Amino acid sequence: MFPTPTITHWLTLSALLFSIGLYGIFTRRNAVGVLLSIELTLNSAILNILIFNRFVASDDVDGQVLVLFIIAAAAAEAVVALAIFVSFYRHRHTLDVTQANHIYDQGNRTS
Amino acid sequence: MYDGTVATLFFYLFAVASIALALGVVLGRRLLRSAVCLIGVLGSSAGLILVLGFEFIAGIQVLVFIGGIVVLLLFAIMMTSEGHTFEQRPNAARRVMGGIVATAFFVVTLSVYWNTDFPLVSKEGLAVSHEDVHAIGRKLLSNERDGYIVPFEVISLLLLAALIGGIVIARKHDPEDT
Repeated sequence: MFPTPTITHWLTLSALLFSIGLYGIFTRRNAVGVLLSIELTLNSAILNILIFNRFVASDDVDGQVLVLFIIAAAAAEAVVALAIFVSFYRHRHTLDVTQANHIYDQGNRTS
Repeated sequence: MYDGTVATLFFYLFAVASIALALGVVLGRRLLRSAVCLIGVLGSSAGLILVLGFEFIAGIQVLVFIGGIVVLLLFAIMMTSEGHTFEQRPNAARRVMGGIVATAFFVVTLSVYWNTDFPLVSKEGLAVSHEDVHAIGRKLLSNERDGYIVPFEVISLLLLAALIGGIVIARKHDPEDT
């Protein structure tokens, strides 16, 4: 009924996931929502690298090593983003990215 | 003896699940529900990686991505919303712009993919274990020309810097301290 998945089917799936994440990055208003979308795109990039490793260069393990690095970098990024969001929320009491267009509050800087 | 039908079935199953859940992540207005949908997407991706034949990476995906990163994001959601986890709906211009960008990316990428002849070397079926953890470990720690020892050390420094930076940024500042 369905065709057997070739590399093009796999890559199409990965591109579709990336596009959905891209849409989320553009439309989300909450900063954590943007970060969720970024994780979605990172996940599709991981999938893409593994697809190429599997179908084109299946004798090497370079793609898998690269994916390990990507996951480590994503963990570091999530930590720093969480810290920035908590600090931002403490100053502004909101996480709406459309209102985050200057670095300091003029005047009433708490803490 | 290898039957490709099961792998095909699982490919389509995980593909449909991950796309539906990804739409749930992006389109929902409740952040907690989006985060739970993200767990589903990452789990389906781990399944897809298993179908590709990389068990070790699938395990790392579940352990680090779902167990670490999504839990951190859940913390972020809960610490930055006082009860109300709703998000305001984006305005129409923003949605149109996002839709145009995403569709344009998808169309361009797809047209490249469907017009390319990939030099396929692997003719064996899917869902065959295709993995060599020993080779990954040797590659990660070898200092030959194609080894990854320097990026490995750099990424450990990056993790340490992210740890310290996270603590410094998120801690409460005393007024008299600096």
